[in-house]
Amino acid sequence: MGTPGVAVTGLARAAFSAFRVSIRLRVISPWAYLNWLVFPVLFAAVGLYVLSSPGAASSHVVYGVLGGGLIGYWSVAYLEGGNGIQEERWNGTLEQIFATPTPLWVILLGKICGGLLFGLLAFLPTAAFAYVGFHAVLPALDGGRFVISLGVLTLSFFCIALTLTPLFALWRWAFSMLNGFELGVYVLCGFMFPVAVLAPWAQGVAGFLAPTWAVRALYASTLAEGPHNFATWWLATIGLSLAYLAGAYFLYALVERRARMSGQLALA
Amino acid sequence: MTTNPAIEARQLRKTYTTTRGVFRRERVERAALRGVDLKIAKGELFGLLGPNGAGKTTMVKIFTTLLLPASGTALVLGLDAVKDQWALRKRIGFVFGGERGLYWRLSGLDNLRYFADLYRVPPEVSRRRIPELLERLDLAGREKDRVELYSRGMKQRLHLARGLLNDPEVLFLDEPTIGLDPVGARELRVIVRELADAGKTVFLTTHYMFEADAICDRLAVIRDGVIVAEGTPSSIKTLVHDQGIVEFEVVGMPVERLAGLRSLPGVRSVAISEHELAQVVTVHCARPADVMTRLGVILDGIKLEKVSSREPTLEDAYVQLIGENPTNSEASP
Ligand SMILES: Nc1ncnc2c1ncn2[C@@H]1O[C@H](COP(=O)(O)OP(=O)(O)OP(=O)(O)O)[C@@H](O)[C@H]1O
Ligand SMILES: [Mg+2]
Repeated sequence: MGTPGVAVTGLARAAFSAFRVSIRLRVISPWAYLNWLVFPVLFAAVGLYVLSSPGAASSHVVYGVLGGGLIGYWSVAYLEGGNGIQEERWNGTLEQIFATPTPLWVILLGKICGGLLFGLLAFLPTAAFAYVGFHAVLPALDGGRFVISLGVLTLSFFCIALTLTPLFALWRWAFSMLNGFELGVYVLCGFMFPVAVLAPWAQGVAGFLAPTWAVRALYASTLAEGPHNFATWWLATIGLSLAYLAGAYFLYALVERRARMSGQLALA
Repeated sequence: MTTNPAIEARQLRKTYTTTRGVFRRERVERAALRGVDLKIAKGELFGLLGPNGAGKTTMVKIFTTLLLPASGTALVLGLDAVKDQWALRKRIGFVFGGERGLYWRLSGLDNLRYFADLYRVPPEVSRRRIPELLERLDLAGREKDRVELYSRGMKQRLHLARGLLNDPEVLFLDEPTIGLDPVGARELRVIVRELADAGKTVFLTTHYMFEADAICDRLAVIRDGVIVAEGTPSSIKTLVHDQGIVEFEVVGMPVERLAGLRSLPGVRSVAISEHELAQVVTVHCARPADVMTRLGVILDGIKLEKVSSREPTLEDAYVQLIGENPTNSEASP
């Protein structure tokens, strides 16, 4: 039934609808704006005030400014996957959406995009505020490379969320590891401090995490001193992200089968 | 009948495997369906009756592609519920009873729009169909309210609207009236009946006998994952055809007079019990109406009071079917 074109339009519409619902569920009350707009800017202001006191090393200040924003971005984006699925399970809607003619990954794709948008909305005002209010702390900002790095980082967040989310749908124990993994990523990927300060084995692990390289590029774009291997870093992130997606392909097939075997999606 | 059945099960089996225990994990297998055969014609309103844990929901979930059977075949509209799930999901609808399964913080309208997109209903169709469904299910005017503000009956009607978004040819309803007040439940039954009259095939599960009796064309009784009876409501009632009852009160009647009653055709037993000053006589029989007309002749001259009769009900049939040598699936692993 229908041409491929129609099918793709239908899937795109379904994904967009999931995106819209994920946004709606978030901005249900005006207080929600506090979370992603007011608080991050407030924290950034306080942090900047403290860090920009005379004598602070400029790289510390940069980590203070961007690190907070990145953690906010990552946790919002990532939690949409984990919490979002768990919430659907509690609502009893997980089973409902699973039974529609739209594949689960399409729905999750939409929802994750909603999470990314909100994560960015938390990150961008913070970064903009830092730049405008405390221009001195980001003197060497290379705007173009900064934006590309952020885009590449966003891609890696997207791929990680899309890959991990089916795990939460299938195994409830995965949900209990949610916070551990969230924390692990921002320690290992160098959100708050350079990966170089980690133990060698941890640096090895970090190398396999896609965001590590994009974060490195992001920080490098704010600092004049090199070395700057932007292209390599971006490609490393993109390559790893695509590798995750390849894994996700099999995970979704597995979820589809396992869920239908155990009837787990219905359980609260 | 030459046309294909709308729904068909052939030797359908399902076993759930779960684990229990924290340190010494053991695997527990629980058979939920043990070889079910069923055929449901297009346009039929079919009821599946059974006690808790009999396997009703399991059966519905297999047909709606949510569960895989352990073995056997489940066909809906000729499509295999195991392999053809994507084609099948577009053509069926399902509603599970209860309040879960909706986005409570969204409006009813937003819920419907979202699911219309997930069911890949073209926008030009859903723009027309959603208002129709809201009207039909008596939700028009409240569609912009958040679902959490809806009454239980409204939520259930919204569920039904959601199940109808893709104009399904076959509709599965798992205990759709659970938790509704009698008026709400009746309204829902009327709608369901109308859907079947309009040509949709409806597969409904329930444990309310009168509900099945009132609206179903045909039904099956399931117990412990096995179909124990199948047919029209009246044919199932014939299983307990000798369980009609005639009851009356008399004062100071000689017991010998009852002999005549006992010898009437179709009478299974006559019991007598004292009730204050009177005696209450209970006659179990096949055709209460026949017994009633003969009462005056046999008990000529005796003053009868509080005469009543009751035809065997589907509930009697059900209780008999379910009560027979129960193996109690809930208790055994
Ligand atoms: N996801 C599951 N995992 C393990 N066992 C299950 C699962 N779902 C149902 N069961 C078991 O399978 C059997 C049949 O359950 P099912 O839900 O199909 O019964 P039901 O007829 O719908 O009952 P009810 O009237 O209570 O809704 C029960 O013994 C139940 O405990
Ligand atoms: Mg059930």
